[in-house]
Amino acid sequence: MYHHTEFDRAFVVDRAQRFRDQVQRRISGALTEDEFRPLRLMNGVYLQLHAYMLRIAIPYGTISPDQMRQLAVIADRWDKGYGHFTTRQNIQFNWPKLVDIPDMLDALAEVGMHAIQTSGNTIRNVTADHFAGAAADEIADPRPYAELIRQWSTDHPEFQFLPRKFKIAVSGSPNDRAVVKSHDIGLRMVEKDGESGFEVSVGGGLGRTPLVGKVINEFVPVADLLPYLEAILSAYNSVGRRDNKYKARLKIAVQELGIDHIRELVDERFAEIRPKFDGTDQTILDQIAARFGQPTLVSGRSTADYDAAREADPIFRSWADTNLHAHKHADYAIVTVSLKKHGATPGDATFDQMRVLADLAERFGQGDLRISHEQNVVLPHIHKADLAALHAALREADLGTANLGLISDIIACPGLDYCALATARSIPIAQQIATRFDELKLEHEIGELKIKISGCINACGHHHVGHIGILGLDRAGVENYQVTLGGDGTETMSVGERAGPGFSKDEIIPAIERLVYGYLDVREDASETFLQAYRRLGPEPFKAALYPEKAAA
Amino acid sequence: MAQVVTIPTRPARIAALNDRYRHHAAIRVLRDALRDPELGRVAMVSSFGADSVALLHMIALVDRDTPVLFVDTQMLFPETLAYQQEVAAKLGLTDVRIIRATPAAIAAADPDGDLNQTNPDACCDLRKTVPLNKALQGFDSWITGRKRFQAASRADIDFFEEDPAGPRIKINPLAHWTAQDVADYIVNNNLPRHPLVSQGYPSIGCAPCTSPVQEGEDPRAGRWRGQQKTECGIHFVNGKLQRIQPAEAEPAEAETAAFEPVDGQPVIVRDSGFAADDFTGEILDLESDTNLDEANVNFREAELIRIAFPSFTDGRGFTIARRLRMAGYKGRLRAHGHVIADQFPMARRSGFDEVEIDADLARRQPWELWKRSSEVAPSYLTRLGRQA
Repeated sequence: MYHHTEFDRAFVVDRAQRFRDQVQRRISGALTEDEFRPLRLMNGVYLQLHAYMLRIAIPYGTISPDQMRQLAVIADRWDKGYGHFTTRQNIQFNWPKLVDIPDMLDALAEVGMHAIQTSGNTIRNVTADHFAGAAADEIADPRPYAELIRQWSTDHPEFQFLPRKFKIAVSGSPNDRAVVKSHDIGLRMVEKDGESGFEVSVGGGLGRTPLVGKVINEFVPVADLLPYLEAILSAYNSVGRRDNKYKARLKIAVQELGIDHIRELVDERFAEIRPKFDGTDQTILDQIAARFGQPTLVSGRSTADYDAAREADPIFRSWADTNLHAHKHADYAIVTVSLKKHGATPGDATFDQMRVLADLAERFGQGDLRISHEQNVVLPHIHKADLAALHAALREADLGTANLGLISDIIACPGLDYCALATARSIPIAQQIATRFDELKLEHEIGELKIKISGCINACGHHHVGHIGILGLDRAGVENYQVTLGGDGTETMSVGERAGPGFSKDEIIPAIERLVYGYLDVREDASETFLQAYRRLGPEPFKAALYPEKAAA
Repeated sequence: MAQVVTIPTRPARIAALNDRYRHHAAIRVLRDALRDPELGRVAMVSSFGADSVALLHMIALVDRDTPVLFVDTQMLFPETLAYQQEVAAKLGLTDVRIIRATPAAIAAADPDGDLNQTNPDACCDLRKTVPLNKALQGFDSWITGRKRFQAASRADIDFFEEDPAGPRIKINPLAHWTAQDVADYIVNNNLPRHPLVSQGYPSIGCAPCTSPVQEGEDPRAGRWRGQQKTECGIHFVNGKLQRIQPAEAEPAEAETAAFEPVDGQPVIVRDSGFAADDFTGEILDLESDTNLDEANVNFREAELIRIAFPSFTDGRGFTIARRLRMAGYKGRLRAHGHVIADQFPMARRSGFDEVEIDADLARRQPWELWKRSSEVAPSYLTRLGRQA
């Protein structure tokens, strides 16, 4: 857990006060709607299809029980009793009134939270591995670096009006759980001659033009991190296109000008900027690291209860098989609580569930909670002896779904049910797929399979990196769903390939069912995942399953 | 049947207040305290000492008309008296009440002005505790700047405490602040420091009883050095009734003369307010897409460089300004075009001296908005040691 300083608290209080003032000025007419728009966007307020939407940052996915309870209060008091966790470690409330938003921001500020830079053409919420500080495979905890970047980017005077939004992700582990190469800047912790630093890639992104980030610098020492980031932003602010919003992201500049040109520009800017950092940032970094309390991990407590519960209770065993990950301490486990109950909206949590999660984190999990970019909640430090009791409590709160990484653990954007940009619905498709495979009782046999659904070309549902991606479009007023195959959002990132013509909303579920049966027919054995089979065999057998008429002809 | 009304005891109210404000930032405690009916009429008590300016700045932001009680023991450093005037004027505090012991009381108890050497407790009582308690009689609660880190004797203080000296609640918005928090706040808000701080006085009281503190000592170690005494008395003992002198109101900060925008003439926005353009020399105009690295941009000799903002959403000008400053440009830098009030601090922090807008925008967004947007922006960058 990061404990905020008084400075952090004063900052968010100040920003909440400013926004209250800006809302009043919009109402009085001192600000035009055009002028108010970027200001509300800098404070996470969007105008959606039906209402305003408030997007709140959960920096690097780390949240305390008190903060989670405050989100519950907000959901209960100012929204419809629930919130939606997003694919970038934010939470969105979809039904606030504009006049209530200053009060909501005040309530957030009370617990050190905010909606600053969760939207707008600026540096967005910095994301990181949701297993940070707990995973067995980690080189270093990425969160102190993510927090340092958060502080540097917050209210940076030069970069509030960039050509387009700008996203940064940090991974401290060779197994990339933060999808760093789909970000404008992706940072991967590496070591060189005993010194810690980052491999920096730039120009990744999904959206209309999915591109994998390119390495601009193989090793930037920790002490140069902020000036190097500032150099990239300075270069982008100068050369990023402003004539077409669909070509304004850094990835397009990298594609059009070439990575070598961008590298040269960044190196020049770095030489200008580096002397302006006097090293205080490294002292602050040490202080930040100290503010992330370490979990107290006890050795010697028996885990026999865990083994006994696995033997005795098949429901518990099934959940433990899918929803646990290896902790760096052998007696502990990382628990992922699925927010993907079959038939429910992926990523939604009610205020009751938020309170239960906060309580359970305190009771069993050292008060540590995480939000994953896959829209689930993580309890990173659970002793194995407590798992059975935790699972029972989760089931009581309808949070015991055992489907992590399986076909029903779907990422879906809000789609046409909420979003003004969407061209098709995504949530009902996710719900129908989850329900169908639950009926078939095939989910566990299929094994790891990531389905990701976006309701428009902007790809908020990350469909490009789904093993199976579904993109909802509008074809002459009718929803039409395209399927992509073979995408991957990990360190072996690849962009999925389009399989062929789209499907209507009535055809898409049977098509996915055929595709999955086709995979089960061709896989070598149960250990070969969908993605592995796709990489081994290529698209043809999968296309044949999707389009049987064509295969027969 | 008579209705039973339970009035919570003061300790219960204090416990409830501490619970309610548990997660609040200092400024929020302060803002809400001034409105909370449970706290009634609230005054602030300030020594205008080493760290006082942080809390005074906050109170000025929240409500500059809040009564601020300043006890002049008539034994203070002349620097403190001058600093009190400076801070009150800069922050625009409208109700600073200077509290002194009556001449009669002093004549009776300390005619030679040497009581501090023979009986410091009696001296504090005479010059500080008694007059202050009298002045506090019209209030239900009072705000102090006490912080846990200051001394071992203050390690347990909370946001709200019972005042043992009278039926009042003490509010300590900075209870949880560290020395670094105070220092950050003062730097980030560009507040004037007490002149004695740089001479080794982290805690400043009356001249005869305050000495400098060495590195590694408790910050209050210089108060009543060599004595058992750690607090002056206003923070833990009651006093006897005494008449006080009437408060002297501070003059309000003079407002800048009203400026009327004229159609067709540019309005120049600076930290000091709106003004007509006073520059008559040659201006070097740069468009927002100017490439500074091209050889034909010769900016070094220019007296005034004006950078275009064709739209407020086009932030390229901020980077141009920043790069000019990094390249050593020392002349006048002006942002020109569609820049809105909320961008004023960004422009200033990117290296601009001023903004040029048209009369329409100046009327729609009057100086008050620009001023407000440029106040109190705590800066992470400054804190991270990134130089302007």
